[in-house]
Amino acid sequence: MLTKQFSTQVCEVELVNDDEFISFFEKNYGLFCNHLLSIKGEISAKVESFLQQKGYKYIQNVELPKGKLKEGLEKEIEKVRQEAFLERQELEAKVAKLSNKLQQNLKVMDSLVRSGQELKVDGDLLLLNRVNSGATINVSGSLIITQIVEGSIRCNGDFMMLKASPKANIVFHGVEVDNDYLKDRLNRVELIENKIHITPVLKETNWA
Amino acid sequence: MGIVIAVISGKGGVGKTTTTANIGLGIAMNDKKAVVVDFDIGQRNLDMILGLENRVVYDIVQVMDGEAKMKQALIKSKVNENLMFLAASQTKDKTVLDSAKIKNLVEELKEEFDFVILDAPAGIESGYEHTIEFADAAIIVVNPEVSSIRDADRAIGILDSKSQKVKDGEDVQKHLIINRVNPAMVESGEMLKCDDILDILNVPLLGKVPEDRAIIEASNQGKPVITDNNSEAGKAYKRIADRLCGKDVKIPEFVAKKGGILGLFKGMFK
Ligand SMILES: Nc1ncnc2c1ncn2[C@@H]1O[C@H](COP(=O)(O)OP(=O)(O)OP(=O)(O)O)[C@@H](O)[C@H]1O
Ligand SMILES: [Mg+2]
Repeated sequence: MLTKQFSTQVCEVELVNDDEFISFFEKNYGLFCNHLLSIKGEISAKVESFLQQKGYKYIQNVELPKGKLKEGLEKEIEKVRQEAFLERQELEAKVAKLSNKLQQNLKVMDSLVRSGQELKVDGDLLLLNRVNSGATINVSGSLIITQIVEGSIRCNGDFMMLKASPKANIVFHGVEVDNDYLKDRLNRVELIENKIHITPVLKETNWA
Repeated sequence: MGIVIAVISGKGGVGKTTTTANIGLGIAMNDKKAVVVDFDIGQRNLDMILGLENRVVYDIVQVMDGEAKMKQALIKSKVNENLMFLAASQTKDKTVLDSAKIKNLVEELKEEFDFVILDAPAGIESGYEHTIEFADAAIIVVNPEVSSIRDADRAIGILDSKSQKVKDGEDVQKHLIINRVNPAMVESGEMLKCDDILDILNVPLLGKVPEDRAIIEASNQGKPVITDNNSEAGKAYKRIADRLCGKDVKIPEFVAKKGGILGLFKGMFK
């Protein structure tokens, strides 16, 4: 069996006065010409010939399955909206809390760290400059360094982002990281189930 | 009021004393009044390079201690009368230095001279810290090799934290001189490239001085190489001194001398 499903607009109307009916559908032809009219009441010959002449499709005294009334639908939508809104607010508050925590402990620095200098940071560090040979960086949190590292790094945070740094001495959670694995332009180093994972974030362009 | 420039390097033997003498003389040749001061207490050297070792009567420590007047201790250069020299003490060691006394001495020299150039001792100990304490600017001398760069980096870190100017919230001017550049070795990759050095140290380049035997000859004769117009090192120091005096002088690339016409062309196009 083959079935097809259409959705079409229905206009339900009670026919009491023929002239009133005809003038209404005459005036609003543009609005209702593609509707299915569901007419309650007796259809006179006058009305019938009007409908035929205009090409209106109609049914008579049929009890149609009813959807929801407009107001009911709107109320329901409003309710769902409200719930979604509350949920989002809650999420946003959570994110704000987290990022507040981050920002309070996040140190952003743009100065070169020179030989003999030791930089100790309690929290996260974003460093936008080099770490020269003989310099030491010690962070309790996560660490991002956007320039080359030739000195020592001690990091105990969730992750590190480092450039390929063949001369660096890197210790992550007490384990020395073999910098042969830091091959790419930017590498993510993290501790997952007691194992150090190194994933390239920005790959070295391969021109070959 | 003059400017006080400390000549520093971290690592020893890279050319601080040679640079101090030549820059001092070069500034004097620009008709500016300069004094070069040997801060390498206990290991004086500058007197020999200037050919003035037999003229030293009083030294810096005696001036600071009030045993001698500044006028008595200053020695005029044989080559240019705009250049004066103040010798280090040979008998005492650097522990005799004291901040207040150094400050007085430096202030007194600043009144008198346009450029007060202090030749720092090697290393980063107290003698070095005293040299940079009241400096307005520093000339950092490096050789194009890693240990020199690393030690200079260390010295700059100390300069940036311990000099009076920085403590007062100002900047100490910094200039870099790369000394003993051997073009053939740079080309073959045996020496660090200039750009790499500048990346690591992040200090503007004041000039490059090539490896040149004329420097050793000049030291032996007690006549700084800048007086030798035919030597590459002498010309390089002349350009550096001119730049310090505010002249806009380009920094040329040194190119390895090679036999044949190809080498010549390469030199011309670089
Ligand atoms: N460009 C050069 N070419 C050849 N020889 C050089 C050059 N520069 C310096 N030298 C030589 O290197 C040696 C060390 O130079 P100098 O005494 O100036 O170094 P310094 O940094 O003052 O040393 P110290 O740290 O012991 O005081 C000297 O014998 C000098 O002649
Ligand atoms: Mg010296």
